[in-house]
Amino acid sequence: MAETIKYNEEELIQLLRTSDQSAFEYLYDNYAGALNGVIYKIIDDQHLAEDILQEAFVKIWNNFSSYDSSKGRLFTWMLNITRNLTIDTVRSKSYKKQAKIQNSEIAVSYTSNNINENDKFDALGIRKQTMLLKEDQRRVIDLAYFEGFTQEEISKKLGIPLGTVKTRMRTAISVLKNLLQSKN
Amino acid sequence: MNKEEFISSGLLELYAMGISSEEENLVVEENLKLFPELKAELSEIEMSLESYALSNAVEPSSSVKQKVITQIFHGTTVKQESESVPVVSINRRNPIPLFYKSIAAAVFILLIGSFILNYTYFNKYHTTQQQLDVAQQKLDEQETANQAMSRDLNVVTDRYALPVVLNGTPNAPEALAKIFWMKNTGQVYIDPSNLPKVPAGKQYQLWGIVDGKPVSGGMIQTSKGLYSIQKMKSFGKVDAFAITLEKTGGSPTPTMDEMIVSAKM
Repeated sequence: MAETIKYNEEELIQLLRTSDQSAFEYLYDNYAGALNGVIYKIIDDQHLAEDILQEAFVKIWNNFSSYDSSKGRLFTWMLNITRNLTIDTVRSKSYKKQAKIQNSEIAVSYTSNNINENDKFDALGIRKQTMLLKEDQRRVIDLAYFEGFTQEEISKKLGIPLGTVKTRMRTAISVLKNLLQSKN
Repeated sequence: MNKEEFISSGLLELYAMGISSEEENLVVEENLKLFPELKAELSEIEMSLESYALSNAVEPSSSVKQKVITQIFHGTTVKQESESVPVVSINRRNPIPLFYKSIAAAVFILLIGSFILNYTYFNKYHTTQQQLDVAQQKLDEQETANQAMSRDLNVVTDRYALPVVLNGTPNAPEALAKIFWMKNTGQVYIDPSNLPKVPAGKQYQLWGIVDGKPVSGGMIQTSKGLYSIQKMKSFGKVDAFAITLEKTGGSPTPTMDEMIVSAKM
């Protein structure tokens, strides 16, 4: 993130529409980590995660014309592309085969990596803010937002009533909204 | 559904998280058109989630950015580095169980041992066979000698054998020969062992004097320079025996100058 220029979302989208490489690099620098974090929530394999991340950015670039800002923010759109790509990969036969072969060593190294990354964010003070979410709220948000589970699926997966899932989700988003407002 | 009802339905949150259904998406997008101020509400939710996503970021390897840029702006896919090729480690190969290794080693050792034993025993067998052949040959020789001796003895001990001693002539005063004349059959055996060594190219010839005339009794065979009792021609009646030294193969008439031994009956 050596970039000193700061684009707002509209400016960035305008530049991206002109196929500007520096705009793409800005996009990458600002969002690769967040998108990679989403992939990591689903896949515990650094190499595969980075392959998917690469594929996701290529797809984002190639399909940029189909992005409609009236329907939502750019990051939401990118996250959906990345998440779907990751889920498709996990469901593919070759991944299932490989998942059997992978041993726990990778998971161990990934975990330690993750801790380091989290430490980095601790230094930025962001992690501390999200820690204000209760564990059960985080769990619901992670499953829905990062892993794409529907409310019904989360209800089954966690063995809690659908109403509870809805409540936790809304409460969690309120907390995040308040955090964002207090930051601004 | 008015704006407030829509906001309180929670659909915007689901939409922002990307877990709403296709139908719900259409409803949300419809409302976004109807109430532009909903866009701000949606953006707020999206940014809250975005901030949460950023707080959960995991920075990828620095090489990924270059790969993506190369692929997008230079139209090529960067080949995966060798390190990123899924490593099937060597120890993951199906190892041959130690048990089978041990079996194989044991079989190999037994095989080698068998070779060594085979070689040793074959050599022993071969040597023994040779020794046996030598012994057999000796035995055969012994047998032959025995037979010869027993035949000689038979001649000497035959009750009808008339021993005749042929004394040396002035040509060879030391010479002596013995004849065993079988009176019943007329067979003549001679023991030439006390005759002088025969010169090269010469041979002893036996003569019988029958009715005043010399009749050849055959050539005396020598084997390796040695004499043994041998059968000669038979004589029904004979006046005298004589042995002359003749050229090899014998002569039709005796060379009287070369008479070695003689005996009158």
